[in-house]
Amino acid sequence: MVLRRIIGCLGLATGFLWGAEDYWAFAPVSNSTPPTVGNSNWAREDLDRFVLAGIEKGGYLPTKTAEKRTLVRRAYLDLHGLPPTAAQITTFLQDEREDAWEKLIGELLESPRYGERWGRHWLDVARYADTNGMDEDIAHPSAWRYRDYVIAAFNEDKPFDQFIIEQLAGDLLPAKDLEEKRARTVGLGFLSVGPKMLACDDPDKMRRDIVDEQMDTMGRAFLGMTIGCARCHDHKIDPISIKDYYGLAGIFMSTKTLTKYSVVAEFHEHNLTEEHHKKRWQEVNRLEAVRKKKETSKEEKKRLGKEIATLTKDLPVPFMVMGVSEYPTQNIKVHLRGDYLTLGEEVSRGVPSAWTDGKKIIMPEKQSGRLELARWIASAENPLTSRVIVNRLWRWHFGRGIVPTPDNFGGLGERPTHPALLDHLAHKFVKSGWSVKAMHRLMMNSAIYRQSTQADPALSKNDPENKLFARWQRRRVESEVIRDSILMKSNRLDPTVGGSMLVVQPSKYADRGHLKAHSLVPRRTVYLPVYRSSGYDGQKAFDSADSAVSDGNRRSSTVAGQALYLMNSELMHESSKSLAEIVISQDSPNPTSWLINHLLGREATEKECLQGEKFVNDYGDEKEAWSAFARVLFSSNEFLYIE
Amino acid sequence: MSLFGYQAGLPLSRREMLLRSGTGFGALALQAMLAREAAGKSNAPPLPGTAKRVIFLFMHGGPSTVDLFDPKPLLSRDTGKPFPLKAPRITSHKSKNLLLKSPWSCQQHGASGAQVCDLLPNIASITDDLCFVKSMHCSNSRHGGALLELHTGSDTFTRPSMGSWINYGLGSENENLPGFITINPSGSHGGAGAWSSAFLPAKYTGTHISGKGTEMKVPFIDNPLHDQTKQRKELDLLASFNKEHLTQRGANSELESRIASYELAFKMQMEVPGVQDISSEPAHVKKLYGADADPTKSFGEQCLMARRFSEAGVRFVQVTHRYWDSHGNLKKEHEKLSAEMDKPVAGLITDLKQRGLLDETLVLWGGEFGRTPTAQGNDGRDHNPHGFTMFMAGGGIKPGTVYGSTDDYGYYAEDKPVHFHDLHATILHLMGIDHEEFTHRYAGRDFRLTDVEGKVVHGIIA
Repeated sequence: MVLRRIIGCLGLATGFLWGAEDYWAFAPVSNSTPPTVGNSNWAREDLDRFVLAGIEKGGYLPTKTAEKRTLVRRAYLDLHGLPPTAAQITTFLQDEREDAWEKLIGELLESPRYGERWGRHWLDVARYADTNGMDEDIAHPSAWRYRDYVIAAFNEDKPFDQFIIEQLAGDLLPAKDLEEKRARTVGLGFLSVGPKMLACDDPDKMRRDIVDEQMDTMGRAFLGMTIGCARCHDHKIDPISIKDYYGLAGIFMSTKTLTKYSVVAEFHEHNLTEEHHKKRWQEVNRLEAVRKKKETSKEEKKRLGKEIATLTKDLPVPFMVMGVSEYPTQNIKVHLRGDYLTLGEEVSRGVPSAWTDGKKIIMPEKQSGRLELARWIASAENPLTSRVIVNRLWRWHFGRGIVPTPDNFGGLGERPTHPALLDHLAHKFVKSGWSVKAMHRLMMNSAIYRQSTQADPALSKNDPENKLFARWQRRRVESEVIRDSILMKSNRLDPTVGGSMLVVQPSKYADRGHLKAHSLVPRRTVYLPVYRSSGYDGQKAFDSADSAVSDGNRRSSTVAGQALYLMNSELMHESSKSLAEIVISQDSPNPTSWLINHLLGREATEKECLQGEKFVNDYGDEKEAWSAFARVLFSSNEFLYIE
Repeated sequence: MSLFGYQAGLPLSRREMLLRSGTGFGALALQAMLAREAAGKSNAPPLPGTAKRVIFLFMHGGPSTVDLFDPKPLLSRDTGKPFPLKAPRITSHKSKNLLLKSPWSCQQHGASGAQVCDLLPNIASITDDLCFVKSMHCSNSRHGGALLELHTGSDTFTRPSMGSWINYGLGSENENLPGFITINPSGSHGGAGAWSSAFLPAKYTGTHISGKGTEMKVPFIDNPLHDQTKQRKELDLLASFNKEHLTQRGANSELESRIASYELAFKMQMEVPGVQDISSEPAHVKKLYGADADPTKSFGEQCLMARRFSEAGVRFVQVTHRYWDSHGNLKKEHEKLSAEMDKPVAGLITDLKQRGLLDETLVLWGGEFGRTPTAQGNDGRDHNPHGFTMFMAGGGIKPGTVYGSTDDYGYYAEDKPVHFHDLHATILHLMGIDHEEFTHRYAGRDFRLTDVEGKVVHGIIA
């Protein structure tokens, strides 16, 4: 049985010889010198030289720079998740300054639309959801604060090391006042919003499963490590033993995630309400309790009702933050074969020494050790963290990571195609003060980023996966971008930022009856509540994130359900109608051409104009005709792909 | 039929997709496919399968199979006395563990002599087509955990549903229909997790048909304009624009797949409503399912719809009947639920048999667990994951069989226990898939429906 489980974890990899090279990600980050290249004029940034060296070695040339019109659309979709308006395109095309591109990137990074787009990328990794899903779909009524925190962190360019520490141990940081306390605590949603089996008759199993999920997510998100396997056995491929696992688990067992472990379990929230408001709420609750009592007389109930009304007038709702807190510290014993009923030796809380190059991270006696763990993860000495995050950013820009498995840098993940480039970026990242925006500027300003999709056919044929990064790999935009773009282009997008739309039943369960209504609210998709138990059909069809598991490498499929959504959904029909009204009210001399330019960001060809005009004339009712034509353009490959 | 689903009309793109590490199927799946192609049996599964399709009749809540199929003389004799064996360490509710005899009685039926409760006369009349597994057990005492374990093999992590696995392995029989449909599924206790493809490609996710009565629809299948001629015009213009776009960019399998996907969607839109529409069924068939009158009307219609989908080539169809969770009011609730369920289930199996479809269609009946022989209150039973009954029909199962047994009181699976993992292994085996060889690489690991468990139950295979 033990053997079978181990083989299960190793999968078919058994039989393969694993050498030290499997631990490549643990080697110190080197400050590599960019290699010498033949065509050094091509390079715009040092990083280009690393890529160009590979391209030249393969006997190829990099692909020519894309047209300005293509680039501006690429930049908007990439940084904002929304296409540019026709005016924004024109502005860029007419900007003849030498640094027009850098200026554009700088401007895009200053817009709040940027955080909504890149915050969503991080929410994929944080397996963010507004409801628990799993067995009991309990609502997370204050999880939205974590989502808004993530969006704001990207917008403010919060140093990534600080971002890490706040998400793992923000409650343990000093705070000078309540405001700072709130700001430092909201990040803790990271550890709390995961999927949990909340109706488990065995509270011990429940606690250990939650700890396991937290450790696994933390490992994948920041370190590119799979930690979960070591729950049952020494990991044969990654440097984590069963003892290491239970040393780490001790930190999380000394951390409070739930306040009640019996069925149905409840999660911990920090009450960060202002003191005087908190007191008023306590009084309100006390009076409510008296009012509910059977023996309270009718007159008394009435009087209490009035008193409560006076007390709650102008009283803000309590400021709750979903997040972990501390428990009394404990070291735990190794669970043989992962079974907590069969215990082995006790292990001190700590960070695996194989990860720290032998350096011992001292655990405090009276705290869980989360803060020490977080500080170690967020330290420059840790070679994994900076590599993992720059690779994630690269993946989200280019569609493919330098390490193609961004969540797994271990023995079972894939090796980096450009290890020296990865180190170069990691080094620059730390040097920049862990600035994510600095990385965007660097990557987007590169010659690699500005390449066209129109590559030499031999190159496309021989490097179908674009391992060389010798061209721009065309890719479909994500589910949120499709919805948001359609709303924006039909002038329906509501730019309201933040807050919660979640509807919770008195029983604390999420009210799924509201899913349909949510999906029709024309706000950016990142603000729609995420129901882990169901989700939105239209979003799921286009591979929206599965909030059950941390995933920095969303897939992109092509299935008929996507076509059905674009052909028949209410969103599409409402939006196309609204756009038709705009077309008609414009009274443009050439509405076909206007609409093509509006949606696709380019001049219409003569042939398209003729086809469009004929289609509209033959269709019947004018408004219906323009709606139909708008749907055709919204559904076209040109609209759905980043070129 | 194709191995990897309904985009197989574009062999190059399929191979390209396989090659795309991280987002594709991984090199191993590719190698397996190439090996099969080289051997000249590109689409044949590795084992000779007997079942082509599955219809799963899921009894959400946990029916009391100790009352319905597993009568125990000692339970009747000792009612009110303490359960003499050791009670489980973990139970869903605290209990005094006092035995409670069944409010009903069972009789032996058919040549197999299978016991069936008097509440289920129609199922009793077809026992010679059925195979009862009376020694089922699973690992979780709560609805959510047990339900997910039954559907996905895991009560701890999000994993692909068995319907997704089967479609991933065998592909579609009818490219104009989804391969995995779940009718009226439960939104709670796992929700979409029960029909999710998890880390398998999205096209293997179950299509849920939810809503009330005949309003149940595949999402986005109805065109709001209700004018196919006009929509055809739209799609023609779209195809023309897309082809022009493609010509400018040179051959590209992904863009081509997307062009093709609209044609497929259009065909689905034409075909699905017709398949789903049970109104064209003759009166005698509706009557057979009880789809003509209450209390069987609703579930009868759903079972009939399931047959129509299955017949049209949907690999995995699930119908959910609820809610069997009788902690109290056992007598009244189970009588009502049995009356709703009995005739449609027997009708479906009879109908499949009459149409010659039963041999290649595996029908599975059961809940996420059974109920305890001990009492909760004086008219209720708690969850029992330790020993309960499920039954199957068709698809290569040995008909007229009773397999395994529980202890003298019906609490624990005792003789030849069958875990959900074993059930999954057996279903895959019947579909012609070796559950140990059938893997998908994700996040550096090869996953199986049965994880590291599962034994094929050869004793129930014909």
